[in-house]
Amino acid sequence: MNLNRRQVLWAGGGIAASALLAACGGDDETSSNSPAKGSEKPRRGGTLRVGALGRASAITRDPHGSQANESDYLIISLVYDTLTVPGTKPNTEPRLAASWQPSADLKTWKFTLAKGAKFHDGSPVTAEDVVWSLKRLRNTPAGASRLPGIKPENIKAEGDDTVVLVSDYANAELPLLTRLTTFVLKKDTSDKELDKAPGTGPFKLDWFRSGNARLVRNEDWYGGEVLLDAIEVKIFESPQAMANALLAGQIDVASNVGAVAARTAEKREDIQIVRRPNDMAMPIVMRTADGPFADAKVREALRLAVDREAMVKQVLSGYGTVANDILGTGDPAFAKDIPQRTRDLAKAKSLLAEAKFDVSKTYELLTTEDIPGLAEAATLFASQVREAGVKVKVVKQESATFWEKTWLKGDLYTTYWGTNDSVVFFASKTMVSDSGQNEAGWKNTEFDDTYRKAMATKDAAARAKVLGELQQIEYDESGYLLWGMADGIDLAGAAVRDLPVLPGYGRVQLESAWLAR
Amino acid sequence: MAGSLIPATRPEPAGDSLKRPRPVPAVARAALRLAGVLARRALLLAVLLAFVFAAVELLPGDAANATSERGESAADIAERRQLLGLDRPVLERFWEWMTGLPTGDLGTSARGESVADLLSRPFPNTLLLGGLALLLTLVASVALGCWAAAKPGGMVDRSVSASATGVLALPEFVVAVALVLVFALWTDWLPAVTLTDADGSPASWEMLVLPVLALAIPQIGWNTRIVRAALDDEVKAPHIETAVLDGLPRHRIFTHHLLPGALPTIAAGLATSTGMLLGGAVVVETIFNYPGIGAVLAGAVADRDSPLIAGVVAVTGVVITGVLLLADLVRAWASGGRT
Repeated sequence: MNLNRRQVLWAGGGIAASALLAACGGDDETSSNSPAKGSEKPRRGGTLRVGALGRASAITRDPHGSQANESDYLIISLVYDTLTVPGTKPNTEPRLAASWQPSADLKTWKFTLAKGAKFHDGSPVTAEDVVWSLKRLRNTPAGASRLPGIKPENIKAEGDDTVVLVSDYANAELPLLTRLTTFVLKKDTSDKELDKAPGTGPFKLDWFRSGNARLVRNEDWYGGEVLLDAIEVKIFESPQAMANALLAGQIDVASNVGAVAARTAEKREDIQIVRRPNDMAMPIVMRTADGPFADAKVREALRLAVDREAMVKQVLSGYGTVANDILGTGDPAFAKDIPQRTRDLAKAKSLLAEAKFDVSKTYELLTTEDIPGLAEAATLFASQVREAGVKVKVVKQESATFWEKTWLKGDLYTTYWGTNDSVVFFASKTMVSDSGQNEAGWKNTEFDDTYRKAMATKDAAARAKVLGELQQIEYDESGYLLWGMADGIDLAGAAVRDLPVLPGYGRVQLESAWLAR
Repeated sequence: MAGSLIPATRPEPAGDSLKRPRPVPAVARAALRLAGVLARRALLLAVLLAFVFAAVELLPGDAANATSERGESAADIAERRQLLGLDRPVLERFWEWMTGLPTGDLGTSARGESVADLLSRPFPNTLLLGGLALLLTLVASVALGCWAAAKPGGMVDRSVSASATGVLALPEFVVAVALVLVFALWTDWLPAVTLTDADGSPASWEMLVLPVLALAIPQIGWNTRIVRAALDDEVKAPHIETAVLDGLPRHRIFTHHLLPGALPTIAAGLATSTGMLLGGAVVVETIFNYPGIGAVLAGAVADRDSPLIAGVVAVTGVVITGVLLLADLVRAWASGGRT
């Protein structure tokens, strides 16, 4: 492959870039002071070809259906808008909902729709459309977990531009729930029309075929100017094929391609490795309700026995960060003041002795190979805790068996979460006593009370303080051993600019991306 | 579509080719034999499909579970299990699926799509890939086999035979990975993966080159050896000796006496390769991101989607049956022509 000017420009980095850019000719842009990347001015035009993982047998066009494919989710989220989207700080930012306002008791939330929001066919977005869409979402099989605490009959329109959601309980973080799948369709869109249903998003669907799609710019998107002319989404079954396509220049972005591909691309100067920190939590779950890990001292001992840095280095190839047993690391409310737990084998051993933990037994650690690194993490963990005298045998289960038999039930198993990044999300879904996905069978009234207090506290500073207390309890007592967070990794060609660096589904927000060519 | 493939297209051209050189009773005999073969193959296919249903049943988990979302409650999954009919005995589901088959109804996938729709685009793509690979295999292996047989024991013969043996032992994925490395990533001559057009087929013909090669190369190795061996046997036949003694030109002996004699063996070899080609396609399609049924099948197994897996097996089975039948006819015709 020849090294062309663009690639030199990328390799040269900041200082060289402005000099070369000036020499580029064509358009006479001088070095602007754009804070984004060096000295470049975003350029309009071009087609971005994005590879995304997906299986041909699992393709879906339903924005409220079960989207197993990243490719489908990407296409859907470029065509349709959610009420809110993930952000960095705060972690919930406006989209189709321009603003929101809670009632004093934090149960009733009013979302005001963005001015000028239109469907791709030109008709304005009304509150009725949103209400209909949210109800449709709520009535899907997983609807109760997607909009927890909000009954379908408590979703109502008020005027043309206000949507009212009434929660069963006080919920200070309700807008967070509307970040992921609250895609808005026109009222009364039938299931048969889903293929062609107009959205409100930054791109319009040009064509869709077998998981591949071409999307063109929505010239009057209410959310701002879209620079790319078009985005072509290509479905890939394997990350390896996707990485090859990028290395061969057939696509511009390999989305969520993983650490293995990043290692291959490290030597290539014409490839950008985009790291999205706090993307995936891969905790080890220790059952607290009963069984050998019910004693908090034992769980503490295991947390002290793990060598977190070695885990990040070996399991994640260094593409990740050490974590501190608290889930929700990407949250601005994450408790950075709680000291980082480090390895202490002596203390671990003494805690085990105190708890009269039976070290003569061998304990099974159940895992599955759903995502890369999960089973490897289990194996390395087993060899590390052996040094503290705990014998652990790793048992790999086939995915379906794992989710049916082990998840939510096992004494010791691995799990993963890649969809959210907030402390509250994890607390509400996996740790509050009556939560539906309480992975460790954890029941702690102090935690429950603190959670409810946080959710009912309107003042942000006061709430942050309570959330701190919540995380302290989680750190001390919960059933989670969170040793690290895996980065999300995208690979991109040299000309691609302003790709999202948000964790989780933040990766699909491609509306501000542009091409420097 | 599955039901119509053999009866509509296969027997007619075969009947024609049988008719011309032979008297009527022979045609009747051949037709009877053909019907017998067809019935046997259909039965075999049905047994195979029963095995598919049984195998999926034996896998841990079921379709309702495998296609569920993490947030779904046990009640939701149970409801979907009922919706998919998974609470009914496997024999009943199999029977229902089989009885739909003659009408072209391949059932509904675990994700609620029509199986026929799910296969309608990828299957022609796989047929294109497999067909091109089969064609290349035929041309290359006959050419190489003849070239090697031209001077038995010579330099060419030894090197062709040795490399054929080496190549036939290579699994498709090794060939595929090597091809991608050399022709896409190092030299940049050919695309590394297949991208799809608006109509669902490969965006350019160049994208077919590497997948076809990856599939065909091991089969070329296998068939070259068969061609070479068949020619070798044929050379020893008395009529060839006569032809040589008669002083016929070499190329004429080759095209008019040697090759026709070796034809039944070559046809049988190629027919065997069809199965291997379609099997190999599953692997090769993944490596090249080729939009064929390989990808559908892999996903279907993960989803425990018996109707979809059986659908893939059924259409593939029909194609393989068709090719085997064709090979039988070629053999019948070739050997019939000589006796």
